[in-house]
Amino acid sequence: MSIQTAEIKPTVPSSPLTGFWKPFRKNRMGVVGLLMLVSILVVAVFAPSLAPYNPKTSKGISSRDIYNPPSALHWFGTDDAGKDVLSNFIYGSRVSLIVGFFAAFISIVIGGVIGIVAGFYGGRLENLLMRFTDTMLVIPDLPLIVVIVALTKPSLLNIIFVIGLLGWTTTARIVRSQTLAVKSRKFVLRARAIGAGNMHIILHHILPLVLPLLVVNAILVISLAILNESTLSFLGLGDPTTASWGQMLNFAFDRGAMSTGAWWALAVPGLGIVWVVLSLTLLGHGLEQVLNPRLESHHLMPGRPTVQSEVVDLSNNRSDALVLLDVRNLSVHYVNDKQVAKAVHNVSFQLHEGELIGLVGESGCGKTTLMMALMRLLPAAGQITSGSVLYGLQDLATLSEEEMAEIRWKGISIIFQGAMNALNPVRTVGDQIAEAIIKHMPGMPHGVVNARVIELLNLVGITAEHKDHYPHQYSGGMRQRAMIAMALSCNPQVVIADEPTTALDVMIQAQILELLDSLRKKLGLAIIFVTHDLGVVAEMCDSVLVMYGGVTAEYASVDTIYNNPQHPYTQELLKAFPDLTKPEKRLTSIPGYPPKLEALPGGCRFAPRCPVAFERCTTEMPKLHELNHNHIVSCHLVENNRVR
Amino acid sequence: MKRYRYLLQKIGWSAFTILFVLVLNFFIFRVLPGDPVKAGTHDPRFKKENQEAMRVRFGLDKPVINCFETLNPIKVGDCWINPFDTQFFIYLRNLIQGDLGISYHTNGPVSDILTVRLWNTVLLIGAGQILSIIVGIVFGLFAAWKARTAIDYSALITGLVAWSLPTFWLGIILLFWGSRHGFPIGGRITPGISSYPLSYQIGDIARHMILPTLTYTIVYMGEYLLIMRSSLMDVLSEDYILTAKAKGLSNFQILKDHALKNAMLPIVTIIAINLGFTVAGAIQIERVFSWPGLGGAVYEALERRDYPLLQGVFLLIAVSVVIANLIADLMYSYLDPRVQVE
Amino acid sequence: MPEEFILEVKALKKYFQAGKPGLFSRKEQFVHAVDGVDLQLRRGDVIALVGESGCGKSTLSLTLMGLEEATEGSIFFEGRDITHLTERERKSIRQRIQMIFQDPYESLNPTQTIETIVTEPLVVHGIAPNNDERKEHVLRALEDAGLKPAEDYLNRFPHQLSGGQRQRVVIASALVLEPHLLLADEPVSMLDVSIRAEIINLLADLRKSRGISVIFITHDLGTVGYFADRVAVMYLGRIVEIGTMREVLTDPKHPYTQALLSVIPVPNPRLRKTRVILQGETPNPIELPSGCRFHPRCPVAISVCKQSDPHLLPVSGTHEAACLLLVK
Repeated sequence: MSIQTAEIKPTVPSSPLTGFWKPFRKNRMGVVGLLMLVSILVVAVFAPSLAPYNPKTSKGISSRDIYNPPSALHWFGTDDAGKDVLSNFIYGSRVSLIVGFFAAFISIVIGGVIGIVAGFYGGRLENLLMRFTDTMLVIPDLPLIVVIVALTKPSLLNIIFVIGLLGWTTTARIVRSQTLAVKSRKFVLRARAIGAGNMHIILHHILPLVLPLLVVNAILVISLAILNESTLSFLGLGDPTTASWGQMLNFAFDRGAMSTGAWWALAVPGLGIVWVVLSLTLLGHGLEQVLNPRLESHHLMPGRPTVQSEVVDLSNNRSDALVLLDVRNLSVHYVNDKQVAKAVHNVSFQLHEGELIGLVGESGCGKTTLMMALMRLLPAAGQITSGSVLYGLQDLATLSEEEMAEIRWKGISIIFQGAMNALNPVRTVGDQIAEAIIKHMPGMPHGVVNARVIELLNLVGITAEHKDHYPHQYSGGMRQRAMIAMALSCNPQVVIADEPTTALDVMIQAQILELLDSLRKKLGLAIIFVTHDLGVVAEMCDSVLVMYGGVTAEYASVDTIYNNPQHPYTQELLKAFPDLTKPEKRLTSIPGYPPKLEALPGGCRFAPRCPVAFERCTTEMPKLHELNHNHIVSCHLVENNRVR
Repeated sequence: MKRYRYLLQKIGWSAFTILFVLVLNFFIFRVLPGDPVKAGTHDPRFKKENQEAMRVRFGLDKPVINCFETLNPIKVGDCWINPFDTQFFIYLRNLIQGDLGISYHTNGPVSDILTVRLWNTVLLIGAGQILSIIVGIVFGLFAAWKARTAIDYSALITGLVAWSLPTFWLGIILLFWGSRHGFPIGGRITPGISSYPLSYQIGDIARHMILPTLTYTIVYMGEYLLIMRSSLMDVLSEDYILTAKAKGLSNFQILKDHALKNAMLPIVTIIAINLGFTVAGAIQIERVFSWPGLGGAVYEALERRDYPLLQGVFLLIAVSVVIANLIADLMYSYLDPRVQVE
Repeated sequence: MPEEFILEVKALKKYFQAGKPGLFSRKEQFVHAVDGVDLQLRRGDVIALVGESGCGKSTLSLTLMGLEEATEGSIFFEGRDITHLTERERKSIRQRIQMIFQDPYESLNPTQTIETIVTEPLVVHGIAPNNDERKEHVLRALEDAGLKPAEDYLNRFPHQLSGGQRQRVVIASALVLEPHLLLADEPVSMLDVSIRAEIINLLADLRKSRGISVIFITHDLGTVGYFADRVAVMYLGRIVEIGTMREVLTDPKHPYTQALLSVIPVPNPRLRKTRVILQGETPNPIELPSGCRFHPRCPVAISVCKQSDPHLLPVSGTHEAACLLLVK
């Protein structure tokens, strides 16, 4: 699972097939391709009515008609035999399209069957089929097609078969890998658990999920088949009874169009080929974008500028200790396709020296977005719309990229959820730790850097020989330790730990937590610990910020949160969380599910699920009320310090 | 798996593929109608003494292979004959000795014709491939870097259009324009250039190479552009890129130290897969520009129905592609540490 | 006459081959995923199978379902030996044993409607060939799984539902066959904490109303405290402790169980318990330690633990633990 989970997903169709049209319609490339394709199909189908002349007859043609330039009589001029280029062009479209579609059909059926059989049944059969496919893949297509067609009859049917029988290799590979991917998905396992047989699984589960990829690949195969046919024709191997575009070009090229300057005889048929192939390419590309939507964005895209707000000087320090990080009224939005998701709204907290603050919330509460905003690592669609992040004398929210890069890691570092890919798989772990050191402490001699890397690894319990290993050689727990070592490499003041133990076993989690705690005490770190685990929070944290739907629900010391929670969400959450010391306690749950950030309810974000909500809750968002002892609650029920 | 085992497996597999190609080659020319080798013996262009030499060299009176007298039409024969006394093994033996047959047209050894042409094609394909890789990668990189901007969209469209152009047609158009603007109309050299000093000769070849290489580059860079773009965009969305950014590295540093190597790995695979396609391109370009290479040889063999030449060229092309694929595979294994280490 | 035990597992082993045997053969190595498990489940009971990753709990459930073939040992379901059956023979058993998986997002085919998904088991087993009858079954199963009004859900797609709703659909598709035994493999681990209880309470209610027996696999002991009758703790392919919920949670006898319970975080900041944090990680199940498998990490191991591999030893009538310290 990727680190950033709060990004809005692209609009998902309400049903795969009928809902497919809407997003496809928006895809300009695909629509243009489709229109282009339809237009040429119309030309091919209605050729007899569209062509001004019949290319088969030579009636009334004399040698004076050869290579006449475009005129009113002949819009595209005449060719080497005096025939109308436009008419030849129109009829020629038929050959290209027929060969293209039928040959592709053969290839796709063969490739599809081989791919599914190989992928689904596996074992020796798969091995055999794939070896065969790979062998055929290596052997160059065109020379083989040329040889076979040259030795047999160059009829249209023959050409279709040869191109079709040699064009299945890419389809087979793609279908096989997709079949393998689908085969290992849980719903297939479920189908087996129900007792479904192989045929049922292939028809109802594998095929529907292979189909989208197959369609995209089919388009590619059709375009390749058309290119192959035109090339064959250009080399003189076309069906002599037809006049495809490739053949038109062959004759023109061979019979003096170049020297005579008859550009129309050369340009027009070629443009036809380009039109068809391009239409298919655009259509295929568009289809792929719709069926396999990738987030067309990446981490290095420039972000949106922060909306500046006045820094109100309310040095309202919650305790005596030094304030390292002061987050004030921070709001973060995601802007996407005219939709705005208000992921974080008006959140404030303070991090003091040596403090460990727990940031608690469930999916969609905005805690990861908040952390990313602090480090200015929001994705391209994210934007800080108000508030400030005071670190020392600077407001991190308004710094430029270069200024921020100076503070990252040296001042504030972050430990991500131990995803497999949080470390670069093709570089050694030691290398990646050293990189941070070299960046922020330039001029350090190589030997010193090395020693420091080993020192850091030892600090987290990894022995020196692992320094030159790659991430995939580390276990999950080790990888997380390495991330911790890396995060400490530049002696930061603040460390953000974003769900560092969520994916780990209980015992490993205990090891990591103990490590973090001892490091905190040893190095005097301040830590922001993001989690959904209320048990961990109780064990580790000094203060707690509970978030729901992007807003602060409650913010207080750990003792207060657990023993005197005032926000209904906090109370319900505690009731839903198991306590091993009270095993018979029947757990409760909160009905409903977290709000969608694009369509937030008016008023309190928790109101739809709140057991004690009343009318005001649905219309007015509660303010952040401060109870005594630095206890903040955003609930109408605690207005005027009325404690519940 | 261990490195040497991986290498051995790959080499073994390539050897098998080459064998497969040899067998395929043999059987195509025997199975398909109009057994051209036999037909050659009746071809009037063929000198009598060469017909005899063919008969002896290729054992045309012997059975094709054990159990089969002839393959077209299929006539079953004796299975227990000496396998070394069949056309198939004579064919293999001749191949090992570098004998690819005698051309109908020149009445000389096919291998003589091809050796010269091989290098001409390598020169052309080599230059074209290198340029298209460089251009494609650079444009693709920029497109991904500036994702979703005008630069990205125009690069994308350029790539898609370039990919959709038929190679021979682009050559024709460029040649049409070029021949009217001072470029040579075809061939590799200007006749009579050999009397000039070497530098002139090299310059002459270079001038003749410009248009065909340009054709090559435009057509093939499209694919590299598209692959590089999507590969780099994938890499730049990976978690470790975010980690690198969190470490305070600049975008340029991240690109250089983290993204490029990973993004380039698929390119190496594509180069390998493309080798088959580049040969197809060579056949077309060499015809249009009359470049005396292997591709041109294919066309001439087709035109002149010179089957021994066709067979020899096909074999040479196929084997070269297999070997080139092997080299690309081996290179990939050196680049990706996940393959090396167990 | 109904058997005493709905499920009886005897000395069950499931080994996987470790890596592919090379052309130049190496010594065969096995992953001892399940290495000798004995288990009995009474009709209508709920047993929780607890352990960390690599302990073999998932493999055990897959083997019980027949999705993996047992290497050794036997499985008896409702008195019948189901260890090695052909797919055809197994098909009728599959109606009686159903499985719920961990990932509600992946358990449903994204291209199918809820109706198709819940009808599929009926189609596969040829139950109620009449379309209307089928719909009846489906609606009832959806309602029993807590999705009301059921008609509203029929034409929706999985991505339109929340995680909790999807898991309910999975449960509905299991219920529609009226199973006797339910294998729930971490059914709530991927759900938000605040909705986990929903699903667990649903299972508890189903147990009461339909008498379904449940094997509940989890790594989180806290969640099943009130739901399970018995608990079995697994380590490296074996059950190391088994007993009633109360016995195991309040008086664990195996050092591994003790350590596990001591480190599970409790939502009470005032409670400072002594945590026994084991060092290192679970050894890989290919090369098992000699003697007691836990001894390399055991905080109270004695010399004999290195040589002798203990079976489950009785602590009380219902409580067993595989620890040599009990012998004293």
